[in-house]
Amino acid sequence: MDSAPKTPRPDDAFRARAQVLNLEGGARQVLDQARTRLVVVGAVFALSLTAVAVRLGDLAFLTQPEPRAAIAAVQPFKAERADITDRNGMLLATSLATASLFADPAKVLDAKETAKRLAQALPEVSYGDILQKLEGGGRFVWLRRNLTPRQQAAVHNLGLPGLDFRREERRIYPAGAVTSHVVGFTDVDNHGLAGIEQSFDKMLGKGEPVRLSIDLRLQHMLRREIQQQIAEFSALGGGGMIMDVRTGELLALVSLPDFDPQSPGTGDAVNRFNRMTLGVYEMGSTFKVFNTALALESGRVRMDDWVDATKPIQVGRFTIDDFRTERLRRWMSVPEVFTFSSNIGSVREVQQVGPVAQQRFLTSLGLTEKPSLEIPEVGRPHVPNPWREINMMTIAFGHGLSSTAVNNVTAFAAIVNNGILRPATLIARPDDYETSGVRVVSQTTSENVRRLLRLNAIVGSGKNGNVPGYLVGGKTGTAEKAGGGKGYSKTANLSSFVAAFPMNDPRYVVFVLIDEPHGNKKSYGFSTGAWVSAPAVGRVIAQMGPLYGVPPVDENEPSVQRAMYVNATAPGRRLGTETFVDATLKQPIDPKKAKPPAKLVSAPASNSSTLLQKVKETR
Amino acid sequence: MSWISASSRTSHAFGTPELSLAAKVWQISRVFVVLVLALGAVGVLGQYSAANGHMEPWAGRHALRFGVLFVGMIGIALIDIRFLARMAYPIYFANLLLLAGVEAYGKIGGLGAQRWINLGFVQLQPSELMKIALILGLARWFHDATLEDVRRPTYLLAPLAMVLVPVGLVLAQPNLGTGLMLLMMGGAIFFLVGVRLWKFGLLIACGVGAVPLVWRFMKDYQKRRVTTFLDPSTDPLGAGYHITQSKIALGSGGLWGKGFLLGSQSHLNFLPEKQTDFIFTLLCEEWGFWGGVSLLTLFAMVVAYGIFVGLRSRNQFGRILALGLSINLFLYVFINTAMVMGLIPVVGVPLPLISFGGTSMMAVMIGFGLILSVLVHRDSRMRNGEI
Repeated sequence: MDSAPKTPRPDDAFRARAQVLNLEGGARQVLDQARTRLVVVGAVFALSLTAVAVRLGDLAFLTQPEPRAAIAAVQPFKAERADITDRNGMLLATSLATASLFADPAKVLDAKETAKRLAQALPEVSYGDILQKLEGGGRFVWLRRNLTPRQQAAVHNLGLPGLDFRREERRIYPAGAVTSHVVGFTDVDNHGLAGIEQSFDKMLGKGEPVRLSIDLRLQHMLRREIQQQIAEFSALGGGGMIMDVRTGELLALVSLPDFDPQSPGTGDAVNRFNRMTLGVYEMGSTFKVFNTALALESGRVRMDDWVDATKPIQVGRFTIDDFRTERLRRWMSVPEVFTFSSNIGSVREVQQVGPVAQQRFLTSLGLTEKPSLEIPEVGRPHVPNPWREINMMTIAFGHGLSSTAVNNVTAFAAIVNNGILRPATLIARPDDYETSGVRVVSQTTSENVRRLLRLNAIVGSGKNGNVPGYLVGGKTGTAEKAGGGKGYSKTANLSSFVAAFPMNDPRYVVFVLIDEPHGNKKSYGFSTGAWVSAPAVGRVIAQMGPLYGVPPVDENEPSVQRAMYVNATAPGRRLGTETFVDATLKQPIDPKKAKPPAKLVSAPASNSSTLLQKVKETR
Repeated sequence: MSWISASSRTSHAFGTPELSLAAKVWQISRVFVVLVLALGAVGVLGQYSAANGHMEPWAGRHALRFGVLFVGMIGIALIDIRFLARMAYPIYFANLLLLAGVEAYGKIGGLGAQRWINLGFVQLQPSELMKIALILGLARWFHDATLEDVRRPTYLLAPLAMVLVPVGLVLAQPNLGTGLMLLMMGGAIFFLVGVRLWKFGLLIACGVGAVPLVWRFMKDYQKRRVTTFLDPSTDPLGAGYHITQSKIALGSGGLWGKGFLLGSQSHLNFLPEKQTDFIFTLLCEEWGFWGGVSLLTLFAMVVAYGIFVGLRSRNQFGRILALGLSINLFLYVFINTAMVMGLIPVVGVPLPLISFGGTSMMAVMIGFGLILSVLVHRDSRMRNGEI
């Protein structure tokens, strides 16, 4: 290290020597002490950085992010009508005490003077109005309702005789439009007119608060993402839901456009229409999830079976064909039918099962009945009556049966939740809540459908909804809107995506529906669920996963690979094209008489995926 | 006598070696340069990720600034340390004037929060550069000090003022983070030069004693700011929100992280200030626990190298300068990382060379240049009157 040229300067030597004697000696002592102190400083540095590293480890491994402390409202007065909160105690609706100003004209000494001074103190009232009221006679007249405390103080300080206040209560919605479709609103007399406010009107009126299953954070997140898609694709509206499949709790329910619950009457009436619960729609291809589950559950269709999709199906005057036919038109395996979203293939599958089993199955999933949600705005599904073979065929790919989005999300949750159905709810379940639920499909069928859903998010239409690490699986749906009784519109779509994560052990279902989107440059002109709704679902999952402490999954881990394994090209049976007709079926079934069975036929579907082979796309 | 044995080991005991420019360049530590370049590279990657995988708006400018300042660092490394020592007081006072001037201008000009000077490629905040100027000033003062001097309380009044005047100016801005850093840095240098511990005790006691008095004269909004600082949970939507989000993001990274550009918490709207004060969170989310520990280790190596340079220096000025700069770097790293993890309250201190921001990078790179200059001129001898 001492390679530097050294040039001693002997001419300085004498002077330097004299000084060094003192200064270097003194400096040396300083240095000795400094060394000790330096060790102390170094030790402090090392300890501090170690503390930081330990804390980093603590955050990375040990602690789950602590839930935000519930911000409880300190009520300064006993409200008549109780609060509505989200699951974490965030206020969604509360009551504030206000004062309303009235006058007893008989006691007012100088009406003109009173009116003049009031008009000065309260800028919103006019001199003329007040004077008119004060000179109108009678013993009681409202001058201004719901004053702010500051206004009240200002009027009080005027010290005018004949004026007085009456305590009133005003409903306040801190979350505003964000939860408007769920919470609803009240009239001026604080009676619920919509949403939870209406259905729990009595309970709230008695002072009993309601805690919803909604998580305001997720609600806001979901709404923001849907809003963005609506704006981007110039859509009419949209909606979405997040459900905890283990309890049936809806963690978010968004319908857009929405309204300001503080003044619900001001906006367009359409804004108060809840697309998620009141609107009934033909959901399109997302129904293929149920169709596949039915086919597999029946035992008549297996994962490695092949169906004939070589040509369109003619039934009477109807032709059933596939979307973008040029690449299809061939024999397809069951996984291919799912990921290509083949209408023909779906019909071939349901033909193996028949209309009776289909009707029973969809009934057991709750898709034919009004969902039992806790708000009054709930729509009744439109079910074909009678339920003929042609109905069976169109329902296989999601047409001819309209149901609400809540119906669909609930049924989808049951399929991915190991086959256990739990009804959707907007009310928070206690932490230790356990419901038995109703079994609708076997564990094996649920696992197989989950495999297909996952496959679809890797190679199929759900690609845009995939989020690395969260093992998303989902199915898109693009239903053509029925237009005024004249068949289906080719341009007006309902584009949806329903997904669950993590697919090896699903916990949450996320659903997004966009009403009449228009394709743009970014989506290459497409307005389908894959391009419009799936990206929003993906963004919601990417934000929600860390917030809810869902640990990221390594997709390449052998156990995960095995759980998600599908062989889309396994050689298997070739199924026929005859519709299976139940021997007991003499005539079309009346849905009113059909009863949901507790459990459907449970011949275990074949699960002989011993040949572990990586998923291949066959095109 | 110890001085004889100490000086007889070197051939230039009574003089100062004069190095040629080439020899100086040769003396620059390659290890240190590599460490600095590594930090710069991590910074550019972090900025690239903060912009969701784009060079705009941060990574490109970050890289450009780093390049310019890297050349500046090498340039400073070649400056003769005796010249630096001669310039220490002028630099200190010039900076103090700048600080006071900007503060006054901010008030008079009615621009409120503008406390910087626009230099074109960076907006200069004198408070950041004050850290360097203070170390230079203190190093110059204590260069001449004997142990007797240091023990004399009156001798310490001037350096105490050198610390407290800029601290007061910075706190008045109000910039708590930088003010506390200056204070801690001054305290550490006092400690290292051997000021008796009871004097620290006395000063701290005075400081604590003055708190109720100051509190009485403070306005309500100022008091509120202090209480929020002490307990961020009283402000859950402000500073508390940042920390909550930061902790979630850090936790979600796990052992190995989510991978480059895949930190969902950071890339979505959750993490505030992800390109500046919370860049460490973003890096930890994407690179995981081990990534974070590696970065901390990198910083620790730079700090350790700075201390090592201080120990190698044969002159007291260089020794204090290098140690002070190492302390400065340590404080930056510790305060920033501890803050984003919620170990200490939120104060705005950037992560050196990683956070986006021109002045702090400039201050840090000047500091690195000075450390290198101390290394290059480690055998320079400086005595009283020779500066």
